Amino acid sequence: MNKFTLQLRVKQSEGALVRILGVTRRRRFDLLHLTADTSEDGHFLDVQMTVQADRAENTLVRQIEKLEDVSQVEVVEPDAIHGERRAARSTAH
Amino acid sequence: MKGAEFLVRALEHEGVEIIFGYPGGAIMPVYDALLDSKIRHILVRHEQAAALAADGYARATGKVGVCMATSGPGATNLVTGIANAYMDSVPMVAITGQVATSLMGTDAFQEVDIFGITLPVVKHSFLAKTAAELPRIVHEAFRIARSGRPGPVLIDLPKDIANTVAEYEFHENAASEESAESSKDSITRALTLMRESRNPVVYAGGGIGMGNAIEEFRAFIAATRIPVVATLKGLGALPTTHEFALGMMGMHGTKTANHAVQTCDLLICVGARFDDRATGRLNAFAPNAKVIHLDVDRAEVGKLRRADVPVIGNLRHALKALTCKLTEIEPWRRECTASKETHAWDYAAPGKEVYAPGFLKTLSDRAGDDSIVACDVGQHQMWVAQHFHFNRPSQHLSSGGLGTMGYGLPAAIGAQLAFPNACVINVSGDGSIMMNLQELATLRRYDLPVKIVLFDNRALGMVRQWQELFHDKRYSEVDLSDNPDFCRVAESMGIPAFRVEDRGDVSSAIDRLLAEPGPVLAHVLIHQEANVWPIVGPGRSNSEMLHQHEVAREVAR
Repeated sequence: MNKFTLQLRVKQSEGALVRILGVTRRRRFDLLHLTADTSEDGHFLDVQMTVQADRAENTLVRQIEKLEDVSQVEVVEPDAIHGERRAARSTAH
Repeated sequence: MKGAEFLVRALEHEGVEIIFGYPGGAIMPVYDALLDSKIRHILVRHEQAAALAADGYARATGKVGVCMATSGPGATNLVTGIANAYMDSVPMVAITGQVATSLMGTDAFQEVDIFGITLPVVKHSFLAKTAAELPRIVHEAFRIARSGRPGPVLIDLPKDIANTVAEYEFHENAASEESAESSKDSITRALTLMRESRNPVVYAGGGIGMGNAIEEFRAFIAATRIPVVATLKGLGALPTTHEFALGMMGMHGTKTANHAVQTCDLLICVGARFDDRATGRLNAFAPNAKVIHLDVDRAEVGKLRRADVPVIGNLRHALKALTCKLTEIEPWRRECTASKETHAWDYAAPGKEVYAPGFLKTLSDRAGDDSIVACDVGQHQMWVAQHFHFNRPSQHLSSGGLGTMGYGLPAAIGAQLAFPNACVINVSGDGSIMMNLQELATLRRYDLPVKIVLFDNRALGMVRQWQELFHDKRYSEVDLSDNPDFCRVAESMGIPAFRVEDRGDVSSAIDRLLAEPGPVLAHVLIHQEANVWPIVGPGRSNSEMLHQHEVAREVAR
């Protein structure tokens, strides 16, 4: 099992969080932990989620990156609160 | 001006000429606005056909197809067509009426959460919340539908928003985004692999046509002289009669194509996605090959097969950059071409019944280079892929990813409306035709000269074939011997029809079909046990193709 944590930034838009969770489920990743909070300017939702699967993390990262409203996807060390992100790799949409 | 007029005006700005749809309660403001628009509305008889016709229109033209339906059942009936477009990367905008904003979430009459229902099968979706934002939403929807890897976009429009009176603010069309060019490093590494290879094969997918890269692809093949195998959607990227074209790969591919892939040392995948029907058992697919994977969608690269060199981005640019002369591969290329000649299709089948592959070969020869074939799903679909000649992918409208029975007739309608003077042929089966039979009425209404070839084996042939070969002949729910009289059905809807029963009548039947100025249906009876050959069994490697004579020998033993 491959377990990892993603930090995402998505535009506040209809169904934004459901879309991310839908892709996660459809690509067969199990959700273990999720936090979501509105960004300070109110335009974005910052999501941190920990998932596990037999599949490689890139499978999920690449699919989430394709979502129209997602502006940022990073694989990070798990961090319960919105502390400093220790990015293992960063990708921009 | 009302919100509905905003929507229609924005569609006009996008250059929309045709909308396929069906009216109903929540979408009525838009239908009212359409009366004052130059956009032509085509009334289908089931919303699924609206989405599938928009799909056929889009594949034939390369433009964004537009379909429309009311809330609730109208919207859910679109879903199959939206999913079909999603799986095959077809640019589409689907517009659904929705109950008024105040009623949303109350289980109102004809309320359904179409936004939620379609989430997994759209590239993106919008729920309109104000009238003023409608032009922006429409232009965004078109930009997203046609940019990068194309796909369907949904716009859900509540009735009160459509009826809101506001000041129209003009928005510019959002230009399609040109996909980024591939990295120089990836091109260099790909060229190195190409030069090292002695037995390369190009695996050509639908992305070549959809990415407008046919010219660059052909120049790439002309220079490198690499043999080409095609997916269902890649047929025609290189004319199927081209010396270097080895035919379709995969479950019903040619022996030559599958053998070439299984023995190659380098597989250059261009705009394809290693679909299971193409690869057979994945861990035995092209076992000796390094892989160069060109795709605009980087999520596809490495999804199923690791790429030694990923080349992500605009296919036109990448193909141009990879166009070079390869000096060492000529013996291999000649071997592939020779194999293609050795294993050419044999149309001399025993029996007196119509032999569907032979029928299609003759039809293809006579229908001409500009004909468009829309097919349904099943045995006839594979026969079309095997035996029709295609000079470009947009001539071949086939539901590849979703495999939607009932696709063919609506898709043919979409293509014929786009090209009124083209010879558009719908090849169907007695199972598939019944899935959207009501659209014969649409053919009549708009007097569309679609030629329907209905192969009738009185069975769900592909399922029957699998039950015969892989389920010990335990036939379960595949008998259709109580089919209606298809000629009378067609005639009752104003479509002339005739029956073909003997092989000797095929030639004159095809002449009659093609000579008919309007719509016409040829009801062609074929043997019930005619199967699609060759076939790679489920879970098998593409090296283990079953051929008709081998199976016959097994049975005789």
